[in-house]
Amino acid sequence: MEIYLDNAATSMIDPRVSEAMLSCQDMKAMNASSAHRLGVVAAKAIEKTRAKIAREINAEPHELIFTSGGTESNNLALKGTAFANKGRGNHIIVSQIEHMSVMATAQWLETQGFQVTYLPVDREGFVSPKEVEKAIKRETILVSITHANNEVGTIEPIDEIGAICRSKNIFFHSDACQSFTKTKINVKGQNLDLVSLNAHKIHGPKGVGALYVRRSVKMEPLLHGGGQEGGVRSGTYNVEGIVGFGKAVEIAGEVYIKKMTELRDYFIQKIQSGIEKADLNGPRVKRLCNNISLRFRSVNGQSLTRELSEKGIYVSAGSACLSTKVTPSHVLLAMGLEPERAQEAIRISLSRWTTLEEMDLVAQSLSEIVRRSRKVG
Amino acid sequence: MQIESKEVLNLEGVACPQNSAMALLRLESMKVGALLEIVVDEGEPIKNVPLSLEAEGHEIITKMKVDKIWKILVRKS
Repeated sequence: MEIYLDNAATSMIDPRVSEAMLSCQDMKAMNASSAHRLGVVAAKAIEKTRAKIAREINAEPHELIFTSGGTESNNLALKGTAFANKGRGNHIIVSQIEHMSVMATAQWLETQGFQVTYLPVDREGFVSPKEVEKAIKRETILVSITHANNEVGTIEPIDEIGAICRSKNIFFHSDACQSFTKTKINVKGQNLDLVSLNAHKIHGPKGVGALYVRRSVKMEPLLHGGGQEGGVRSGTYNVEGIVGFGKAVEIAGEVYIKKMTELRDYFIQKIQSGIEKADLNGPRVKRLCNNISLRFRSVNGQSLTRELSEKGIYVSAGSACLSTKVTPSHVLLAMGLEPERAQEAIRISLSRWTTLEEMDLVAQSLSEIVRRSRKVG
Repeated sequence: MQIESKEVLNLEGVACPQNSAMALLRLESMKVGALLEIVVDEGEPIKNVPLSLEAEGHEIITKMKVDKIWKILVRKS
């Protein structure tokens, strides 16, 4: 039996999504930039999806740009806004717990003459809106704070940060790749100017994402070419991927959120009452419904992940993107953990298909491995 | 004479075939017999969009040039 609990890294494609993608072949959806009839068929499929996803975040369809995924969306949000608005200023604010596609982009922008403030977080991973306000200066053009952290699931106070940014006429970007369809996003109500989304975290295909760009935000393109997406993102449309993305959004629902939240809380309670010195990383509430980040004192997270993998249980140590590196997670360090403690972390991320039986089996395996490791250690 | 009400869809600056796609999707959401005025650019859009609409069976009533744009009046079939 295999139990996949690494859905924050990527999730399995829902069969209904695969079916929708295959339907593109049936309707002969071709290049959505070709003016002939089959091009119109493809363009219709794309525009229908654009409207569907825009509706989900309370945006206008023309404010949504399709990309190749979260990394491209984050790169476009930061670089595109920074370069298009450098006449207004050169200062950018991000948090210390952003996904690497934001962190590395911000670091690169520093080499291009921009100044970046990396805001600290508290022990649960929360960014303080007051700290955001304090960090804003005359030259600030952009604030980028994740909607929900990919490693520990902390849901950031983006309503308050959005209100601060709007009042000071500063663009506000949020990476919502982990939270999309799991926590409500309302770009108008939350004063968001840019939002990164992707499909493969919500049982959609890999290689497709989107960036919401409020109409008034000036953007410099990363990719030049045929002028697709209003000239902001050239490149032949990934019609099948975009249609699959739309289907994934359509079938994501609150029923899954409730189920995952219950399983998450059940599991945390079971682990903490059954295993000594088991600590939760991140908050108990204001936490993504599918995220469980734990550390077990004196047990290395990488070793634990390997042993679980041998039993057919797939989780990650820290974040998947960092699992090939030996350095501790920058997120956990920013939350104040000692490097030794940070290396004990494992992330268990649920999906809509996760069952109670699976979580019981994982709890039992974890308990056995942790006890054995501590004895040996 | 009774003047029929119409919806307006402005597709200025929208490239082919996105303009056709957006026009067809708007028509899909309307009742049979309803009127839609579509604003498109000169050049390829005024050539392509009416053809796409007719290919799906909609009735082009008028095409009118106003300065540098075109107004297409179409009835949903």
